[in-house]
Amino acid sequence: MKTDPYTLEIIKNALVAIGDEMFLTMARTSMSPIIYEALDFSVGITDAKGELIAQGQGTTVLLAMIDSFVRDILEKFGDAGIREGDVYIGNDPYRGGGTHLSDFGIATPIFHDGTLVAFAVNKAHWLDVGGAVPGSFSTNATEIFQEGIQMPICKIIDAGTLRQDILDIIIANIRVPQESVGDMWAGVAANGVAERRVRELFDKYGHDAVLGAKDELLDYGEAMVKHELAGLPKGEFFAEDLIDDDGRSDTPLKVMVKVTITDDKFIADFSGSAPQTLGPINNSRTGLTSAVRLIFKAITNPQVPANSGSFRPIEIICPDKTVFTAERPAPVSTYWETLMYGVDLIWRALAPHVPDRLGAGHMLSVCSVVFAGTHADSGKNTILVQPLVGGWGGGTGKDGESGQFAAADGETYNVPIEITEARYGVHVDQYAFHNEDGGHGEFRGGKGVVLDYRMRTDDFTVTGSFGRFKYPAWGMAGGRDGSPNHLDIIRADGTCEVHGKVTGAKLAKGDVVRMVTATGGGWGDPKARPKAAIAEDLRNGFLTEAQAERYYGGLPG
Amino acid sequence: MRVATDVGGTFTDLVCYDVDKASGRVVGLRTAKTDTTYPQFDQGVMNAVAKAGLDPAQFDFFAHGTTVVINALLSRKGSKTALITTKGFRDVLEIARGNRPDLFNLAFKKPEPFVPRYLRREVDERSSYLGDVMTPLDPSGLDPILEDFRKEGVEAIALCFLHAYVSPENEVIARDYIRARWPEVSVIASHEISREWREYERTSTAVLTAYVHPAAKRYLETLGRSLAAAGYPHQPYIMQSNGGIDTVEGAVRNPIAMVESGPASGVLGAAALGRLLSEDKIIALDIGGTTAKCSLIENAKTRITTEYRIEWSRTNPGYPIRTPVIEIVEIGNGGGSIAGIDQGGRLYVGPESAGASPGPAAYGRGGTRPTTTDANLVTGRINPANFLGGEIEPDMENVKAAFAPLTEKLGGDMAAVARGIIRIANANMVNALKLVSLNKGYDPREFTLVAYGGGGAMHAVMLAEELQIPKVIVPTNSSVFSAWGMLMTDMRRDFVRTQVVPLAVENSARIESLFVEMADAAKASFASEAGAGKLPLRLQRFADMRYLGQEHSVKVELPDVAFDATTVAAAAERFHTTHEREYTFRLDLPVEIVNFHLVALGDVPKHEPEKLTATGKAPETAIVSERTVDFDEHGIHAASIYDRDRLEPGMAFTGPCIVEEAAATLVVTPGRRVVVDDYGNLHVHLNG
Repeated sequence: MKTDPYTLEIIKNALVAIGDEMFLTMARTSMSPIIYEALDFSVGITDAKGELIAQGQGTTVLLAMIDSFVRDILEKFGDAGIREGDVYIGNDPYRGGGTHLSDFGIATPIFHDGTLVAFAVNKAHWLDVGGAVPGSFSTNATEIFQEGIQMPICKIIDAGTLRQDILDIIIANIRVPQESVGDMWAGVAANGVAERRVRELFDKYGHDAVLGAKDELLDYGEAMVKHELAGLPKGEFFAEDLIDDDGRSDTPLKVMVKVTITDDKFIADFSGSAPQTLGPINNSRTGLTSAVRLIFKAITNPQVPANSGSFRPIEIICPDKTVFTAERPAPVSTYWETLMYGVDLIWRALAPHVPDRLGAGHMLSVCSVVFAGTHADSGKNTILVQPLVGGWGGGTGKDGESGQFAAADGETYNVPIEITEARYGVHVDQYAFHNEDGGHGEFRGGKGVVLDYRMRTDDFTVTGSFGRFKYPAWGMAGGRDGSPNHLDIIRADGTCEVHGKVTGAKLAKGDVVRMVTATGGGWGDPKARPKAAIAEDLRNGFLTEAQAERYYGGLPG
Repeated sequence: MRVATDVGGTFTDLVCYDVDKASGRVVGLRTAKTDTTYPQFDQGVMNAVAKAGLDPAQFDFFAHGTTVVINALLSRKGSKTALITTKGFRDVLEIARGNRPDLFNLAFKKPEPFVPRYLRREVDERSSYLGDVMTPLDPSGLDPILEDFRKEGVEAIALCFLHAYVSPENEVIARDYIRARWPEVSVIASHEISREWREYERTSTAVLTAYVHPAAKRYLETLGRSLAAAGYPHQPYIMQSNGGIDTVEGAVRNPIAMVESGPASGVLGAAALGRLLSEDKIIALDIGGTTAKCSLIENAKTRITTEYRIEWSRTNPGYPIRTPVIEIVEIGNGGGSIAGIDQGGRLYVGPESAGASPGPAAYGRGGTRPTTTDANLVTGRINPANFLGGEIEPDMENVKAAFAPLTEKLGGDMAAVARGIIRIANANMVNALKLVSLNKGYDPREFTLVAYGGGGAMHAVMLAEELQIPKVIVPTNSSVFSAWGMLMTDMRRDFVRTQVVPLAVENSARIESLFVEMADAAKASFASEAGAGKLPLRLQRFADMRYLGQEHSVKVELPDVAFDATTVAAAAERFHTTHEREYTFRLDLPVEIVNFHLVALGDVPKHEPEKLTATGKAPETAIVSERTVDFDEHGIHAASIYDRDRLEPGMAFTGPCIVEEAAATLVVTPGRRVVVDDYGNLHVHLNG
């Protein structure tokens, strides 16, 4: 029987809603702030072949992780090996679902009347997965083996039975197993929600109707982006840039893109970009796919639900073993720095041509920090992992946004000061916008922030990766570049060390770690900025008088 | 005489019970509807009193719900507001949480702060998370700040200091200092409104409270004067977002608590109806012109949350307000919701609404796109002769023109598209109903759906079918249902405090002493006020709990007994059960309390409505006509049309049929049985 179009519509909506419900379940039950505040995780469902049906997400960079993870399971276990009641787990960075070891994937196959019909998947950043440093990311690892436990995809639950032996291996290899195992159960529960909802749909509407609706949903995704693709400028667009360094040497790394847009294709070619590096800024091919999907979505239809159909026009060209397509055993723990260059290159190439969707360059780096040590009051070990907010670029007709998470993040929440002080036992001196030079323009860049943590004990360490420390956010159309991201350690005696990347730096009582994020790039000649806007910036302290004199042609009035 | 008035966006409603003083029985009910009068809302209230022919001198009780607060916020018509924070943190308000719900929109625009940076100032003071004052405030440091604020013409000042939720001392010093020197300015200290942690949310709450304070104060005082001038001898009570009423004094002190008073009073009406009819599990559904709202009520208790935001959407982070609000899920689907086809060929309904102007295509006032109301007309569910209460004749030519582009693209005739629109609108509403029930672990099959608002009765039966809800109740006087709810409510104040305490036997004394301390504060706050002091007081204890290591918590009601070693285990078990119901799993981990929540209820004398008398007429006497109605999957049938005014208690009849009243239409699918109860409420039984 052919299903009527309205019922199909209702099934499609229900499929998309499953992603949202999984997302909420995961966020509400998780144990670690990287998940419940930073929402650094993604959930989704695929069909039996691994085509992405719907995705719920807190960050933008995991767009290619759900479907490729399932395809890897299918390849490894085959249809026959996948049984009802199984749950799969894995974190291989170089294969399906791959990012870095910190992100664990969990997948549950969904059966209806004995037939495999779908997978529920989630991929979440665990607070710690072992390795050389707490929080499991460093800026100076040279091999994957230093970065934590490697878990090729395996069954953590086998036909309904928990494999305690596997779980014991995980627990033995990570620093804060209570949180991570709690998060694993949150992931299993989120998949369980999806399993129930998918089965309800099959029970109610039948096999053919649901699968028909699924196919239509993918076609719908494609139709929506093709409509937008038609409105984009056609031709070839280029950009190149420099990544600060790989964390091991001071040498900058050249990266480049050629974007080709035709009536029905969006081709991103990264040929010519630097080879994979000794240090851990390497990104894998799955990450590159996510990068291109992210920016493609941004310039076509940001609101249409993500599914495989909506990514069909994308084609990616890049040789193996570049910094974008690293292979084993290259270290990858700060992969996001490079992944975001994949996004930013296309952004820069296209910004002049789609001014309503893209402005000047932003902070780019998520400016992630790890603080580990003993709580000053409770004496317990704590690990704080968090990304930071910063400035976005100015654009046609608007100043940049201030104090926002980088494009790699999304529905990400900063950790409240009151919770930081209670939970981690550090003292926070300030959380404020800063006035470092940068981002001047007719429409100026948004402001970065300064966040100061003062140590109350002698045993904390800090690790931080602040890309765009040497090469700040780009200005456009005559606007000035933004200010750099940096992390300063101000010792109790007043000496100051300024870092772009730092791993495991020891801190003593009274030391202050000052985290400073970028002000975004400016758009247009600063001299064209309206006097009223300059006066308003002066009044609000977003501009100093010296800056007004130097960049904007003097004080107004 | 007991009176309630509810000021809505379009109409101001009034309900009045005439109570016989000797017997205490309700001897009469009067209602009135007048236009809401912007911005002098009190004028509309007095108009309604006059229209109902009432004399305020005879009132024993007057309750009032108002949109003055939400209106000031959404239209940005509040006062010029400044903020004073702890040194180093004035930008917390503008940094906010840094989130971007519109993930892939790289041209995202962050909401503007309600206080610009030059009016955000800092003072040298500090408390620790443990509640110690580390740096006492020297209030003379405020002098230059206040001088600048005076020059700038500031009308309201918010104070929010770090850790004031646990250590309010410095905020108290600053507040008192400012009040003593500048009595005309509104001053709101964050701890007076919210004692929960998270500085951005508390700052936002204090700022928005200060922003509306002068307007709310003026309004409530004017209303009080108007009523007094007309002879009303008491103080009015004001409807709150937490589902209770409060005194004018309480409402002026904490005006932000009125932010959702309109929707809350509807839910309250459903809860009151549940008490009256002994229905202990209710889903309340209010379908209006633009949105549908639903809320779950268990044992006459509404669910309360402080995680409330205005202007929040899938693309906008909105502004948080930490005030207790009834948990309501609202979606953009109502009678005026527009149907269309997007670029991918998908048929959608809402959230865009035709509103009252131009309104649905059938209004013939320039609406060119079909709405849910038009679809209900095409299917025959709405009576063309009774359209908008018979005020206008539907413009069917315009409806046809509006449907044409859709029938062209989707194929099929206008009837098929109309059925499709209703089906998709219903599916959207089913999703909202699932969010308050299934997604929280509640089984809709155990609930009764109470449907009100202009579109509630139209869709309720089909929604109940979809969710297997066994019974729908369409209340009598459903058009003034919210105002009626206020006559049935108690005075209520919620006290919420963040204190992280492990739920363990050795902490039971500390837990008990915190609840006792809060109970003392609650009693004192009631005792000090004329309108509240004499009311019998009931206290309810709740705790927001979580597993050690989790961030988000689950609200659990605690037994109203002193906390000791034996109650700890029972409280933990309640938490485990609730966690498992909402999230499907429980953990073998320690449990901690994050927020202590005490609800203080002042019993207001209430009167049950009188039962109606039945004359024993046959239900057929209420049938006024018959027409062809398209019931979609149930087929097209000749349906009897009942006039609700002619129904009386005890009557029972079976669908397919339609029950019409002035402002609502009940659609009953074939085989569903309708029974009129003693009060005139309609019960539709779905299981025969």
